Amino acid sequence: MGRVRIVEVPMALEIPVGPQHPALHEPLLIKLYVEGEEVVKAEVNTGYNHRGIEKLCERNTFYRDIFICGRVCGICNTVHANCYVRALEALLGMDPPPRAKYLRVLAMELERVHSHMLINAVMAEVLGYETLFMSIMRDREAVMKAKEILTGGRVLADYMMVGGVRRDIDEVKRDRLLKILDRVEERVRYYRRVFEDDPTIAKRLMGVGILTPRDIVSHSLIGPVARGSGVKIDVRFEDPYDAYPEIEPLRMVTRDEGDSWARMMVRWDETLVSIEVSRYVLEHLPQGNAVPDERRLPRRFPPGEAFTRAEAPRGELTYYVMSDGKPSPYRVKIRTPSFNNIINGAFAFVGAYIADAPVILVSFDPCISCMERVTVVDPESGAKKRLSLRELAVQGVM
Amino acid sequence: MAELPKELAPLREVAKKVYEMKVGRLVVELEPGDLLRAVGSLLRSLGPESLYLSTLVATDLPQQGVIRLDYHLFVIPLRRIVVLRTSVPRGGPRIASLLKLLPGALSAECEVYDLLGVVFEGNPYLRRGFFVPVELAEKGVYPLRKDARV
Repeated sequence: MGRVRIVEVPMALEIPVGPQHPALHEPLLIKLYVEGEEVVKAEVNTGYNHRGIEKLCERNTFYRDIFICGRVCGICNTVHANCYVRALEALLGMDPPPRAKYLRVLAMELERVHSHMLINAVMAEVLGYETLFMSIMRDREAVMKAKEILTGGRVLADYMMVGGVRRDIDEVKRDRLLKILDRVEERVRYYRRVFEDDPTIAKRLMGVGILTPRDIVSHSLIGPVARGSGVKIDVRFEDPYDAYPEIEPLRMVTRDEGDSWARMMVRWDETLVSIEVSRYVLEHLPQGNAVPDERRLPRRFPPGEAFTRAEAPRGELTYYVMSDGKPSPYRVKIRTPSFNNIINGAFAFVGAYIADAPVILVSFDPCISCMERVTVVDPESGAKKRLSLRELAVQGVM
Repeated sequence: MAELPKELAPLREVAKKVYEMKVGRLVVELEPGDLLRAVGSLLRSLGPESLYLSTLVATDLPQQGVIRLDYHLFVIPLRRIVVLRTSVPRGGPRIASLLKLLPGALSAECEVYDLLGVVFEGNPYLRRGFFVPVELAEKGVYPLRKDARV
């Protein structure tokens, strides 16, 4: 006669993914609750890198804030600065010269190229293709060089200024940029073919993390994530800014599959469009001055408010700037695309296998430094009865 | 006073004032109690795949004793941002949550709660101290309020 022993088996296991290196080398914690191999709930916890940038902007002058906003995110710094600078120009009623508008577009499109190449490289690494990762990153370096030739900075550009840009290019630089674009385009076409044809990549990405257009819109998911599900939203088309209305090769890329593969393919196609746009800009650069005399820019901003949007590599980026006539802004509100995509997109993990979770996360192109101004828990799985199992497990009833 | 386009006709009942904000954003001022009705009627008339909450901007206005909430909705058929602007009193700010109508409001509402202390009734996920440091959250400091010394 032995003792009676009760063995408690939790219905849902909790697997923390992160906060160190969940996908990118940035801090984010995703708690996955799993039954067997299936994810029944996902919680996104951020807050490991909060910097209080909105408050910092209120404490600094309008012009210093251009450089603070450029440091919200390293990868997409020119688009942050651009969105903020356009809000200031709206407050001042200023319109930059055409050459500056074209150069801004060039800087932002080069940024999109290297950002999309980066996340596709990371996806290759997550899938176990380390050589592919290295190879894409090597070719991405050429784009970083192009950005350096244009802006002076390989990563942080500090390129945007009220009334124009901070550096111009000459014919020699233009020709160097065009050569780099030719080389990069050839490589991107090759990588796109790899992602399209490789059977292993297809098996790992196709049908994984499917999102319906209705879920996309109701959860405010944006950018390539939305366009990968056939939702036609792109700020460059619906709210044209800078020189975008004049760029002929610009076209919106959408796919209807809605899975992780579609999101990555949208990014490859957008990379090719961005290269075409960059080439068009270089070949059609208007004459004139693009660099304003910074000493003569207005020091006072009239009271008022402006809300600007830009299509960052990860989706719609918005800036709200309010001035009360003082040297510093009264309020600066930044809403980055990852803030919506990662926090509201946690429902995409529900129903997936554990092994698919990294793929889904990477297909969202998480940018933690962008998002890092809030923390939240997933809303979605509450609708499923499985939640009660998880609650039972947590409460120790089972 | 700016005109509301016919697609936004359901907002006429609740609009107190309509004007434009730079750059070309339509601002509709309404009572905080009318917010759910306004968004619900827009969703009914335009369809569930027609709009998403782009940004929620909360601004502390101590001189007027209110916290102003700007719901920037992107209306896809109109290809335009419509701002639903409302204010809640600074002492005890409360407003109904949009979570049931637009699940995408989750991130925005949680952020505004943590930074400015606006309570969104019906949102069970509001929590303090996630990204506001614990010592500040324990003291009840809302960092983006104008009187917060952080």
